[in-house]
Amino acid sequence: MRTKKYIFLLIAVLTVGISFNTSAQKQVQLAAQADTTVVANATTEIAIAKENLKTEKDGTISESFINFLRSTGFALLSWKDLIMLFIACILLYLAIVKGFEPLLLLPIAFGMFLSNLPGAGLFTPELFAGGHVDWGKFANGAGLLDYLYLGVKLGIYPCLIFVGVGAMTDFGPMLANPKSLLLGAAAQLGIFATYLGAIGLGFLPNEAASIGIIGGADGPTAIFLTSKLAPDLLGPIAVAAYSYMALVPVIQPPIMRLLTTKKERGIKMKQLRMVSTKEKIIFPVLVTGFISLLLPPAAPLIGSLMLGNLMRECGVVERLSKTVQNELMNITTIFLGITVGATATASAFLNVKTLEILAIGIVAFSVGTAGGVLLAKFMNLFTKIKINPLIGSAGVSAVPMAARVSQVVGQETDNSNFLLMHAMGPNVAGVIGSAVAAGIMLTMLS
Amino acid sequence: MYILATNWSSAFDVVIFGFVMVFVILILLVLIISGFGKMLAPTVRVPKTPKKANEQNNNFPEENNEIEYIEGHLSADYSAAIAMALHLYYSDVHDEESHIITIKTVERRYSPWSSKIYGLNNLVK
Repeated sequence: MRTKKYIFLLIAVLTVGISFNTSAQKQVQLAAQADTTVVANATTEIAIAKENLKTEKDGTISESFINFLRSTGFALLSWKDLIMLFIACILLYLAIVKGFEPLLLLPIAFGMFLSNLPGAGLFTPELFAGGHVDWGKFANGAGLLDYLYLGVKLGIYPCLIFVGVGAMTDFGPMLANPKSLLLGAAAQLGIFATYLGAIGLGFLPNEAASIGIIGGADGPTAIFLTSKLAPDLLGPIAVAAYSYMALVPVIQPPIMRLLTTKKERGIKMKQLRMVSTKEKIIFPVLVTGFISLLLPPAAPLIGSLMLGNLMRECGVVERLSKTVQNELMNITTIFLGITVGATATASAFLNVKTLEILAIGIVAFSVGTAGGVLLAKFMNLFTKIKINPLIGSAGVSAVPMAARVSQVVGQETDNSNFLLMHAMGPNVAGVIGSAVAAGIMLTMLS
Repeated sequence: MYILATNWSSAFDVVIFGFVMVFVILILLVLIISGFGKMLAPTVRVPKTPKKANEQNNNFPEENNEIEYIEGHLSADYSAAIAMALHLYYSDVHDEESHIITIKTVERRYSPWSSKIYGLNNLVK
């Protein structure tokens, strides 16, 4: 019933839009015809003079009316804009009614809606053409979303999001079982396999790397890398990354079941050891120093992630920790979502590349999932203490959704098997892994 | 045609080098974290009494003053078992009672509320 209401509302909005567009165009044509017939039908000079006087008066009114009509967005609407508005409405529907990652999908969809309203001038892709910001044109007046988009373009929002993610993440399960980092590394197979696939489809290496990072299942990392390497593809890549992240519970379980036996799925793992506060405090400092020195381009992401985590674990900046977890995270999410959605303009979105990105994106996710599961199986060949291979799939990031999927699939086989905390290890390791992979891609391709 | 024209060797270089680098960096992290984990993991001092001392202990508990401690990690299931045992012990501990249950006959008290005679004799004036 509710769904029908939404569909009806959507159709009504589109119908009104189209009818206004056609009526405005008709008005313009009729007014032009009236101007010419009035002049042609005049026979005498007086009549012509009178008629001219009349048409001048009419002309000024009709011209201003025509100009008004021409200035409205309805007159400027093209079929491409309508399709984009329709897609934005579908995404809004998925966010509101179906609850697919609503916190991100809703701002993204509305940003898409805003930037595809012709004449509003909220977002001007020309200001960011060629991957550079045209600062000169900003002085002449840019749209609201252009100013907000600078946060994406300069790589500010993904890092702020990472501060919040770090403050919300407990690295304890990973510290208790450091081997889980390897599962996080194996799940990055999706990134590199997809890179090859994208190259094969004709994408440039920098574009292929940006598409491949979808396999990391990490929205901020995908946005960070794409804004640096292939800003033109930011819209489709962000939409693909967040859409597939929302579909993790649908994409992963069949692959996990396919690659494991019932016996393997039933493996019960040893209880994790307790991690001291001292360990938790030293970890972020250590990781930031180590990875940033080894791979400087990854420093903004890793540094932000670990700053947030240090705030959480040190226990002396409770207020800051709460702020980055809630207010800062929410504000940045709004700005990031709207501006990323705004990049999905008709010219950037409605092409074959977008369809290819969506198709390769799902392959990236699937290969990443398979990589984690297969490495866990491989590790079981050499270790005494067996690992449940289902936790390997959580290495694709998507915190904590992927870990929950491992728990659910594990309990299908044995409902007394609790894998959630074990899966959180590879899950948070996947965040580090995808940030490292992004840093490597930046080093090699920028 | 495009596939043939693609510089596959450089693409494979990126993939192999990139993937190996991810593994190398994370393996180094595993080693570092494991090392720090061993140094900083919380340890519990568990008293270890030798057999002989244990036998002596049964006879002369006061004499066994030396207790040897072992450093080790106490896993969560042990901790849970100890916590449960303590909880059961402390939940059972309460004030000393006499354990004598006495049932006393209760004298029926007169109440004007329940007295029929009182009600009949004290009529409303």
